[in-house]
Amino acid sequence: MKKIGFFLGCNIPFNRPDVEYSARYMLNELGVEIVELEGAACCPAFGTMPSVDLVGWAAASAWNLSIAEEKGVDIITGCGSCYGSLNEARYHMEKHPEIKEQVNKILGKVGKEYKGTVKVWNFINFLYEEIGLDNLKSKIKYNLNGLKCAVQTGCHNLWPSRAYPTNEDNTFYPTRLREICEAMGGVAPHYSTITDCCGMGALRSAASEKSLALFKKKLDVIKEELNPDVTVTGCSSCLLQFDAGQALLVEQKKLDYKIPALHIVQVAAIAMGADVEKATAQASIPLNGVITKIKGGN
Amino acid sequence: MEEGGVNVIDLTQGDESFVKELEGLGADELRECIQCGKCGATCPMALAGLEFFIKRIVHAANLGLRDVLLEDSSVWGCQSCNRCVEICPMDIKPYEVIQALRRAAIKVESCPANTYEGLRNLYKFGHAVFPKGFEERRKKAGLPEKPPTALSYDELRKKYQEVLKQTILEEIAPFPLD
Ligand code: SF4
Ligand code: SF4
Repeated sequence: MKKIGFFLGCNIPFNRPDVEYSARYMLNELGVEIVELEGAACCPAFGTMPSVDLVGWAAASAWNLSIAEEKGVDIITGCGSCYGSLNEARYHMEKHPEIKEQVNKILGKVGKEYKGTVKVWNFINFLYEEIGLDNLKSKIKYNLNGLKCAVQTGCHNLWPSRAYPTNEDNTFYPTRLREICEAMGGVAPHYSTITDCCGMGALRSAASEKSLALFKKKLDVIKEELNPDVTVTGCSSCLLQFDAGQALLVEQKKLDYKIPALHIVQVAAIAMGADVEKATAQASIPLNGVITKIKGGN
Repeated sequence: MEEGGVNVIDLTQGDESFVKELEGLGADELRECIQCGKCGATCPMALAGLEFFIKRIVHAANLGLRDVLLEDSSVWGCQSCNRCVEICPMDIKPYEVIQALRRAAIKVESCPANTYEGLRNLYKFGHAVFPKGFEERRKKAGLPEKPPTALSYDELRKKYQEVLKQTILEEIAPFPLD
């Protein structure tokens, strides 16, 4: 049985635990054993240690990576920042042995060591490469029944490609998440702003109105070009923006339509028969139509 | 820069030592920038309308405009998305210029309050993002109240804090590391 260390990060366990539930359900259905990375901390996110010091960042990340190494597993995460930060820190340590050395001096004081043997996955690449689309298709109970999906891969799942163990053929024309939705019976066309940023993250904290305006531009294009049933993200931060951020725009009367939003692990879990209440417990935009459509498929 | 005024940069404000400082903080290819503008064309900060977006930031950094860069909050609006890194023809790694600038800013306490809040949460709980009410949310999703992270293991969290204490956080944190 395949095993994987599930790296939770912060946004998933504290803001969107429905994504955590869904990921656990989905991996279980796919026959992947989840190994808990006990004691894992924040990736750390870009506004904290990476913005303070390179070695400090690498040390905080290596703390997490070394937990997976001790358990002899690779890591998977549903958050783009976690994917980016862990992989980039790993890349810096690989490129600069002196950083790795300093990190190990720090970790050594608490009886730990970072070797550099662990690989960090996101769910898109894991489903695409490790599970395989045909295998995924064989594990679903309800096919997506033509559900029209507008996909949002997420910045950190694409760039910087030099730091990532696996990636799209063309990071400025991503297709993997589209293919995953289609393998489950959805329709997921390309649209012109597919690689545009959703505006969540530092921009949302530093310039909230500008971030939401940027997001609205993207939503308007999605609405006009695809008019989808749902947006499907590969990143929990994008999900927060597409769901709660969108609800905020509606509340502020800056948006006169609503497009439901789900993380890819939620879509897969629901298609595999997960408890919908739990799998979508924190959704702000009602999902009734989406669920009915999925449950109508077989 | 005055609103509506002419956008003039006073080059005598340039400080060569600041350029060197940034190079030492990770922006080691800074001087190779040819101001082609590719990074700016793909940067969400520019699309969102932030006055200082990556091309201008790299330019100002090259000119050593310390005060302009440390006072302007734009560098804290960077999404860390690395589009600029992917696209830069000179391999400047523009995002790493942003990180270098933030590292310089933090040393002189020129950063937004939420940066410290994130660092404090990271140290205290092991999680930079630590919103209230998560226990209820987790229960609703059918999960135990606490995730099996550093939050649930006091001994491991203490060890993690020991790791952080050995970093530069010990010097720059405006809160007690105990
Ligand atoms: S893409 Fe690179 S070379 Fe061109 S302006 Fe940006 S940093 Fe300079
Ligand atoms: S990493 Fe920052 S500077 Fe570079 S493109 Fe993204 S938002 Fe702009």
